Amino acid sequence: MSTTDLAPTPRARFEIAPQLGLAIIVGLLVVVFAWKQPGFVSSFNLFGMGRSLAVDVTVGFSQMAVLATGGMNLAVGSIGVCSVMFAGYLMQDLGLPVPLAFLLAVMLGGLLGWLNGFTIVRSGVNAFIVTLASANLYSGAMLILTKAQPINVLPPIVSSIGSYEILGYASPALVVALVIGLALYVFYRYSVPGKETLMAGANARAASMSGIAVSRSIILAHVLSGVLAGVAGLMVVARVGAAMPAVGGEDWLLPSFLAPVLGGTALAGGFVSVVGTFLGAMLVTVIRSGLLFVNISNFWLQLFLGLFLLAAVLAQRYRGLFRMRLT
Amino acid sequence: MKPHFGRMSGIAVVMGLMLTGGAAIASDNHIVVAPGGPHPYFAVWEQAAADAQKDFGIASVKYRVPSDWKLELQTELMESLASQGVNGLGIFPGDPVGVNSTIAELKTRGIPVVTLGGCAQDPTDAVFCFATDPYKTTYTMTKALIAAIGGKGNIVHITGQIIDTNTKLREDAVQKAIDETNGAVKLLQTVADTDLDPTVADQKISALFAASKDQIDGIIATAHNSSAVTAKQLRSLGDKRIKFIGFDDDQAVLDDIKDGFAFGTYLQNAYGQAYLGAYALDLLASKTCTMKADAPWDKSPQTVHFIDSGVLKVTADNLATAKDEMKKMATGIQSKFKATYLNCK
Repeated sequence: MSTTDLAPTPRARFEIAPQLGLAIIVGLLVVVFAWKQPGFVSSFNLFGMGRSLAVDVTVGFSQMAVLATGGMNLAVGSIGVCSVMFAGYLMQDLGLPVPLAFLLAVMLGGLLGWLNGFTIVRSGVNAFIVTLASANLYSGAMLILTKAQPINVLPPIVSSIGSYEILGYASPALVVALVIGLALYVFYRYSVPGKETLMAGANARAASMSGIAVSRSIILAHVLSGVLAGVAGLMVVARVGAAMPAVGGEDWLLPSFLAPVLGGTALAGGFVSVVGTFLGAMLVTVIRSGLLFVNISNFWLQLFLGLFLLAAVLAQRYRGLFRMRLT
Repeated sequence: MKPHFGRMSGIAVVMGLMLTGGAAIASDNHIVVAPGGPHPYFAVWEQAAADAQKDFGIASVKYRVPSDWKLELQTELMESLASQGVNGLGIFPGDPVGVNSTIAELKTRGIPVVTLGGCAQDPTDAVFCFATDPYKTTYTMTKALIAAIGGKGNIVHITGQIIDTNTKLREDAVQKAIDETNGAVKLLQTVADTDLDPTVADQKISALFAASKDQIDGIIATAHNSSAVTAKQLRSLGDKRIKFIGFDDDQAVLDDIKDGFAFGTYLQNAYGQAYLGAYALDLLASKTCTMKADAPWDKSPQTVHFIDSGVLKVTADNLATAKDEMKKMATGIQSKFKATYLNCK
């Protein structure tokens, strides 16, 4: 759960720091890039950045849902592309209405996530191994079934959604990402299943002894992750107006970890930061776009992202040590 | 001196344009040519951009490369460039379908986009595609390979990424040429995903030779890195029995032709694609020219607004004269381009 609204106890103040620090960094970067290149804050660029940010945020939320349990989901991109191609098939080949096709595609994401969670719980095998295998399994099945051919005769409304500009600046996808973020905040902060997921992630044994169905929480987390991966995939479908087999896959792996980890979500489980994940994705998007504007080769992006990720992980470690001293 | 035809063809185009009055009126346009990601094929585009800027008096022609072969990175680059005032874009599509929505958005902002080296899939708002025809070229290459192995035997097709729609076109073209032999030639195997990562290509092609070297009579490689890796492996095997037809002008392929390890290669007009692409974009962005509605477009499986940038078959017989042949081809396309495809004020 995000701690940005906790009472300002010494510990809470300490935990607010990562998100606040991240927000300041993002703000400073925006100012610097806008100062160097005014076009950075042009409506066209803000719209484009918002559209990319929406996907990065949703992919980050997808990974965050599983990190909450102390696990991980390496199949985020594979589930995303399965939803993408399934949505395309439903709309183009079966002629289903767009809302129904999108709904079924998201449900497929949830089903594939459920398969991951079920396998992990039943087999007792580490989430890393299970999702590594399922990532290849899902991608392979998708390539076999689609013959890697894009589906590009979709109803015009699909691409209209992707190119629609709210007030000339914002993408509908960004609004969807914000709504998802709000829902996740409520889920982890106020709902029983959300709290149980965090408790299961913090200490599975203690949670189990407290009567929490840890297995159910793990499966739920993977279903949620699958659903969010599906939503992210559909954002891309709307963005490009086609269902393409090149969407997602391994390309989503690093962004999926970057956003939550930069935002302060604990890799060990038990603590998530919805606001932080949003800011983490924002940092990546701003750097990526800003480097293009100041004419620094995008090859530097990898270096910057690596440095930020390392700093975030070290900060987490430092926070852990600090907490131990406080207690 | 080892021949490097990409650069040579570039020099040839420059000379041709100077001779044909290509040094146009200076413009204040900002043009960018951008591949879909890093790849040795596009290395010559940087020089082509610099030469086009100088030769046509364009305010700037830049070469920008996304850091990886991801459509998202290319579309972000395109959006960013548009926000920075670039008013003409020549791109190799990161994905022939996925790039279309961005091209359409740029068109609504008055920025013409042409696709170079590879096409966007119709329906597209790209003004035209100036590229090698993957289907026609692969068909021609396969026919040449079939002739080289004496009209019968087993061949292998080594090609690029399976998620690249051009790969499917190439596979179809190989199959068509084989079908025309009425069973005399068999496709032993298609080895895909060998273009972007040479390490992966090396592993796959090694495995291919380990498993079925003696059964292979001919190999056709239809992607740049696939061709280079195959050429190196054939040399290391010391095998001159297998007839190999490569793609592009990697030095390993050219050396194999010279030393008899490869039958030949097909050179694409990479330099000309970027150079003439920038030239056309400058004219279009200046609003002094529009495309002719009745221009004699070629058709490719991807678009009906296709201009073949041409390929040149190079074997041991014309390795020494290939430079002149490329020059002739490049200058031929350039000299007719404006009159053939554009209406200018």
